Amino acid sequence: MIMKEKFARWDILFLQYLKRDWKKIIIWVLGIGLFSSGFIPAFKELAKGQGLVGMYETMQNPAMISMVGPTPIDSAADYTLGAMYVHEMLLFCGLITMIVSLLHVVGHTRKEEDLGLTELVRSFQIGRQANSLATMAETVLINVLLAVVISVVMISFNADTITVEGSFLFGASIGAAGVLGAVLGLLFAQIMPNSSGATGVGLGLVGLLYMTRAGTDASNPDWSMINPMGWTYLTYPFTDNNWMPLVFVLIFSLVVIIISFVLEGSRDMGAGYLPEREGRAHAKSSLLSVQGLFARLNRGAIIGWFIGFLVMGAAYGSIYGDMQTFLQSNEVMQQMFTQADVSLEASFTSTIIMVMAVLVSILPIVIINKLFAEENRSQLSQIFSTKVSRTELFWASVGLAIFAGVLGTLLSVAGLGGTALSVMESDSSMGMADFFAAGFNLWPSVLFFTGLSALVIGWVPGAGKLVYVYLAYSFMLNYFGGIVDFPDWFLKTAIQDWLPQMPVESFDLPVFITITAISIVLMVIGYIGYKRRDMAEGA
Amino acid sequence: MTEVVKVEGVQKTFGKAKALSDVTFTVKAGEVVGFIGPNGSGKSTTIRILLGIIKRNAGNAEIFGKDVWKNSLEIHKRISYVPGDVTLWGGLTGGEIIDLFLKLHGGGDKERRDYLIERFELDPKKKAKSYSKGNRQKVGLIAALSVESDLYIFDEPTSGLDPLMESIFQEEVEKLKNAGKSILLSSHILSEVERLADKVVIIRQGEIVETGTLDELRYLTRSTVKMETNGDITAMAEVAGVFDFEQDGNKATFSAEQEHLNEILLAAGKLDVIKFDSSPPTLEDLFMRHYEG
Repeated sequence: MIMKEKFARWDILFLQYLKRDWKKIIIWVLGIGLFSSGFIPAFKELAKGQGLVGMYETMQNPAMISMVGPTPIDSAADYTLGAMYVHEMLLFCGLITMIVSLLHVVGHTRKEEDLGLTELVRSFQIGRQANSLATMAETVLINVLLAVVISVVMISFNADTITVEGSFLFGASIGAAGVLGAVLGLLFAQIMPNSSGATGVGLGLVGLLYMTRAGTDASNPDWSMINPMGWTYLTYPFTDNNWMPLVFVLIFSLVVIIISFVLEGSRDMGAGYLPEREGRAHAKSSLLSVQGLFARLNRGAIIGWFIGFLVMGAAYGSIYGDMQTFLQSNEVMQQMFTQADVSLEASFTSTIIMVMAVLVSILPIVIINKLFAEENRSQLSQIFSTKVSRTELFWASVGLAIFAGVLGTLLSVAGLGGTALSVMESDSSMGMADFFAAGFNLWPSVLFFTGLSALVIGWVPGAGKLVYVYLAYSFMLNYFGGIVDFPDWFLKTAIQDWLPQMPVESFDLPVFITITAISIVLMVIGYIGYKRRDMAEGA
Repeated sequence: MTEVVKVEGVQKTFGKAKALSDVTFTVKAGEVVGFIGPNGSGKSTTIRILLGIIKRNAGNAEIFGKDVWKNSLEIHKRISYVPGDVTLWGGLTGGEIIDLFLKLHGGGDKERRDYLIERFELDPKKKAKSYSKGNRQKVGLIAALSVESDLYIFDEPTSGLDPLMESIFQEEVEKLKNAGKSILLSSHILSEVERLADKVVIIRQGEIVETGTLDELRYLTRSTVKMETNGDITAMAEVAGVFDFEQDGNKATFSAEQEHLNEILLAAGKLDVIKFDSSPPTLEDLFMRHYEG
């Protein structure tokens, strides 16, 4: 009974895992589920009047297709609410689900091996591969639940063209994306030498699949059908209702699962099939300082976010071209914007720059919170006992955060402005300098969040995450401030709202200087606290 | 001898919990002081106060005659520290971390580093996340032992090391001791403290309960005597200074108080002794006496 030996008591682990993860499962299923299905009323608003036609034209832009995927519809008249919803939401929601499932599987298989948990579990009457089977069963179950929740919520809106079959296909497509992520996670958990390698290569492959499909989608979507990621959104719910790709997902997943189990069966615990890369025996001189260490520790996050900023800027920038053609062909819209005496570009830019300033603010918060995470894990205790002072630790961290804020602003604006200017065919009223002015006009708000984090880490280090809450709050306020009529004092509780919206409004030097100064004062107050308080060494 | 570490009446509370209520001891120049106590007794808290990582609520604490909180940087130039649980950055290799620590301490000896890496059999090219507990500990030890310091603070430095590595550590500490360095060694491995320490400080529930050289402490404690005679051994039970008397025919085991040793020997002399075995109290006995009583 080899099978029994391998998977003995997996059912006990399975139930145990559901019990262990129930909170995570609820957040996961409801979070992604409602996000994927809940925007139907908002899209209904969008679809009113000429909305669908306008959106169809916008979405014909190859840049947009490379981001969100193609649509099977080839005339604006057939572009229904359902078609639009799928077009804009399905790929993205599937991508998120895929990543979450992949992380979950690696986290509960290979990561537990690395942590030594598996060793303990296997010393009981538990089969060698029972853990993998239980984790996969759990993840598949979660994705089935997710698919059902999405479908049911969509049907419940009872919206025109959101059919029952289409809703189930939409949910199933997202669930299938999750299963794909899970099997890829399981596969790399066997091949790579450790869990971070498995996560890295797994996410890398997901990124690669996304990029290749961007290329094939823009040129010929048929080619995307040989891409596993393609199977998650080429089902075209509400229009073609094509279930075939999901069959491919099923077959592919079964094959990968079998390969993974065979690979797992013939490897040692804690070992992979690829050898571990040897590191340096000695440190490069760039590492040998507090600044160097922090730069190294944050390197992955900084590079990742920087690429993100650039891509995000470029993605928004690519819309400018279509905006122009769209505007030229639409007299009503043209009138609207000429009346308001601002160009469409300028108005759009001021909104987008605000969104980007909020996103750029995340990175400095990440960097400063890292200082406390390091402290809390006692990783700094040997550094505290050298001649390195707290002053150095604090300002090295804050300095890196400020630098990341400046460069982040620069990159996102460069991506936005560069792409926008290159895609706009007719002459634009805006030049590169206008983009940079608008971007750096909001830079004090980025600095403010840096200062706020520094303040928190100095006095209430456990509350570092609260800064993100305020960031999210101010984002929402700015975002919805344009739609809903909030009183002025309420809008002013968001820091970005104090700064003028360039290029629509003009630069305000006193405000710029004041917010910069306040941010610096926050940092100094934080520094005073950091010098005085006990280090929290998990004690 | 000058006092390198001087701790007087130090107190520390975390919220409402009192971690240290009265800690007083000294480490003199060239002295190795063993700092022992059970888990949660306040050893690591005391050491963190000495390092200026946390701030004491009352009392005085000085290293090299300087206040440990106000002048921590001055002090840190001349000390080395190894925590009991060395946590490292998973993405960096052992070799990179050692180099970083040497640089941040200042004045590391490259040759000595390479010698220690070889002695402790550490693979410096591996990422720290793949190290076992023992290997992480080695990284901390190599970094601390490769630099020139006047005071070495070890907080259960050998936890997770195998006995072979433990004895290499002890040899290296003996070299430091012979070179006249001061060492504060907190440890659970009492044989290690017995081998290395000139003086022992015992802490219990945040309070120092015993300080002295091993000989002094031993004098306060009873030796264990095993004895066998041809005649009736029962009479020994009545001798002053004999405790915990256990008899098995003509054999007996008891504890003997050091001050009454002479009386005990005189009484034994009368009994036609075949065998007389006296073992001095081990540190473990001392330790147990403080925590069981």
